[in-house]
Amino acid sequence: MGFFKKFLVGKSEQGNKQEKAFEHELPQKPHYAQPQQMSSSAQLSENIDYLFSQCKQTGDLKVRALDDGRAALVFYETLVDHEKMQKKIFAPIEMGHVGRIPDLPNSRQMTNLDEAIKKLLSGHVLYFDEDSTRITYFDVTASFNRSVEEPVNEKVVRGSHEGFVENIKTNVNLIRKRIEDKSLVVKYFKVGKKTNTNIAIVYMNGIADPEIVRKIEQRITDISVDMVQSPGFIEEFIEDSTSSPFPQMLNTERPDRVSANIMEGRIAVMAEGSPTSLIAPSTFFMFYQSPDDYNMRWYTGTFIRLIRLTSFLIAIGLPAFYIAVVSFHFEVIPDDLIVPVKSSINDIAYPPLVEALVMVIIIELIREAGIRLPSPVGQTIGIVGGLVIGDAVVRAGLISNLMIIVVALTAIASFVVPSNELSTTLRLLTFPLIFLAGTLGFVGIMFGLLFIAIHLTKLESFGVPYFAPIAPLSLNDLKDTFVRIPLYKMNKRPKDAHPTKQLAMEESREWKKNEQSK
Amino acid sequence: MNKVICVILSLLVLTGCWDQRHFKNYNLALSVGFDQLENGSIIETVSIPTIMGSPEGPLKPKVQIVSSKAPTTLDAREKIDQRISASFDPSKLQVVLVGEDLAKRDIYPVLDGFYRNPNSNLNARLAVVEGSAKEVISVKTPNESRVSQYITGLLESVVLGTYSTGENLQLISAELMEPGEDFTLPILKKVVQGDEQLVEYNGLGLFHNRSYTGEKIKQEDAVLFVLMQGQKGKRARITRKVNNDKAYEPLNYVTIKVMKIKRDLNVKVQGGEVKADLSLKISARILEYPHNQLVSLQIINKLSDRLTRVLTKDAKEIAAKTQSANSDVFSIGRRVKAYYPEVWNQMDWNKDYPNITITPKVEVDVKQHGIIN
Repeated sequence: MGFFKKFLVGKSEQGNKQEKAFEHELPQKPHYAQPQQMSSSAQLSENIDYLFSQCKQTGDLKVRALDDGRAALVFYETLVDHEKMQKKIFAPIEMGHVGRIPDLPNSRQMTNLDEAIKKLLSGHVLYFDEDSTRITYFDVTASFNRSVEEPVNEKVVRGSHEGFVENIKTNVNLIRKRIEDKSLVVKYFKVGKKTNTNIAIVYMNGIADPEIVRKIEQRITDISVDMVQSPGFIEEFIEDSTSSPFPQMLNTERPDRVSANIMEGRIAVMAEGSPTSLIAPSTFFMFYQSPDDYNMRWYTGTFIRLIRLTSFLIAIGLPAFYIAVVSFHFEVIPDDLIVPVKSSINDIAYPPLVEALVMVIIIELIREAGIRLPSPVGQTIGIVGGLVIGDAVVRAGLISNLMIIVVALTAIASFVVPSNELSTTLRLLTFPLIFLAGTLGFVGIMFGLLFIAIHLTKLESFGVPYFAPIAPLSLNDLKDTFVRIPLYKMNKRPKDAHPTKQLAMEESREWKKNEQSK
Repeated sequence: MNKVICVILSLLVLTGCWDQRHFKNYNLALSVGFDQLENGSIIETVSIPTIMGSPEGPLKPKVQIVSSKAPTTLDAREKIDQRISASFDPSKLQVVLVGEDLAKRDIYPVLDGFYRNPNSNLNARLAVVEGSAKEVISVKTPNESRVSQYITGLLESVVLGTYSTGENLQLISAELMEPGEDFTLPILKKVVQGDEQLVEYNGLGLFHNRSYTGEKIKQEDAVLFVLMQGQKGKRARITRKVNNDKAYEPLNYVTIKVMKIKRDLNVKVQGGEVKADLSLKISARILEYPHNQLVSLQIINKLSDRLTRVLTKDAKEIAAKTQSANSDVFSIGRRVKAYYPEVWNQMDWNKDYPNITITPKVEVDVKQHGIIN
């Protein structure tokens, strides 16, 4: 009853804390803590019975009786690694190093049965012996990991080819190896009442803004659901504006990208069971940066980044522009193009608006079909979709060949964005602009772009402006936005993440001055 | 949210102006010509390229020539509209041709419709046709698929060669209205060469206010005339006779390329009389001079002097011609109006322009003679 009372108090405190969210300390334990605390009994059979009743007689909970039934090992056979168990428990005993199991060097003890169940669920083996309330447990978790390999959707030409895996420990390890510093902080959270998913936030203490760290911790501890599967879930729970089409946290599977962002004072959120890590706070232009930019010469880096940013305008605006031209303002077509344009659209039955919608939807169909299918079939779909439909639809006179060019270009431009999240956003934004262009012409496009610009300017990601460094303008941060200037000139961290330490480097090319002064 | 939806819906539905113009529903008139009939009504002729699309790309366009008779241009356009498949649209118009007879009366009435329509293309080039505009538009050339392209190309190259000032609908609009300034339009003529029909540039027609005076600057004087207006195309070549003593005719001529000009117009009023000094300094390069003896500075200076003399004489003739045509193409009137308003107010520029004194002076300085002496 005492425990129950304590729980009640804890719960009401929690309620108060949520109300005055800004002046409290973070709860060290997640607030979905145990409703009851059961101490172990001295009777072996009672303990085992309790375990089995709590675990609902599941079939993979195994008991191995030792010492003629005077002791027992309890474990989930589906969670433990039998080899590890052999090596950690039985081998030392057989070799005669230690007499009894509880005396083994890597053992730990406790007496709480409910805590013990948690250990059981995380892959530990429990050792009970008769006449003792002590529970000894060993970590023998079996983990079946993919090896660290390059993420398929974020390939780079030069640079690291490592990618995150589904194991959070491996992932943090990949970051720690890249940032060997004592102020790299990892904080764990358990999220999901039933799934108990391990979430980690990783940041640099002393660079990351404590206010933003606090905000993220607060939002993560506020998550109260049964299941958290992947960062996609977490993202929707903690992002600022769920109604915005734009992603407010950067998704990446690359440890080098994560560590670079951590060094800029941003915070990475990772989850057990998913190779994707979230980076917050994010800005719009971060989605256009790729690790490749920093591995090439800065001219090429700049050129390619400019191409990517142009692709943003092409992806959202080109079909709309074409529709507005051929159904409202054909006087802007250059004189020499009049005849080719006219001849290509003269005999098309449908208005350009319908044409564009049909083609954009066909492209989306082909894309979606190609993703889900196994790759050999996916290629076939690509060929059927690209060649057969593209060609046949023109020959049949349903769609003009100019529209095919426009829509194909738009689709390609939308895939140029290094982030898959933003790419889907762009393809979605095409539709309202197509409608506006088809009903109001250039005026409609202008209105649409204005709305997007207003929205981008207004949007915030964890309290920092999403459209920085354009709005608010920060000339210094433009060095790594449209262009990528040489690295030694980017000596300050971008302001948008509010880093507490601005200077990222001191004079790195001093040798040049020294050599010249000789 | 409801408010936003209401606002958007009413913006889309209640404005009531649906100005969609589908490109495929219009027939573009690329060139248009106007001719005067005896009884006062006009003939409007348009060329409309009809293009048959094919999956492999555009086929060769066929040009449809339609003409109709009506008292006004828009009325004529309505009649044309009733003869062609889709509506007629002048928004990509490239050439406007005006027949000589019509131009001599007044060109503004036929252009008025273009100025009032926001969709019309004010970059369309204008030209006067000796004979009838319909003839020129109906010219069949084997090399060019469209007559509009042919005439536009012709007019553009004429501007490049400094044979014309490159007037279009936009540029002449002020000059049509303003009394102190007149303009010229290139004159085109249909010529028949064997079994081929061609269009030829045939000088510049001098306009007074809104009508063609009938006087024209001949093709060989046109370059000098355009230079006197202070304009120079991409290239300007002048060929003049500088010697008389050679038996073999080509030896008497020199062709220069105008590299740079400096033109100065000085208008002053002395004792109630308007005097205009037009000085034109030409830096020239010899392009052709078959004597092959431009070795010394003396000879070159002599050549410069001769050219100066010949061209000054020509310039005087040109100025006299504009005065006899009463076409103030040098915008002298505008300067008088600006600097001497009280004199301007006492004058009737329409009558007084032929009586003012214009003193043109051309100076040629040969700077280069090509890569041989």
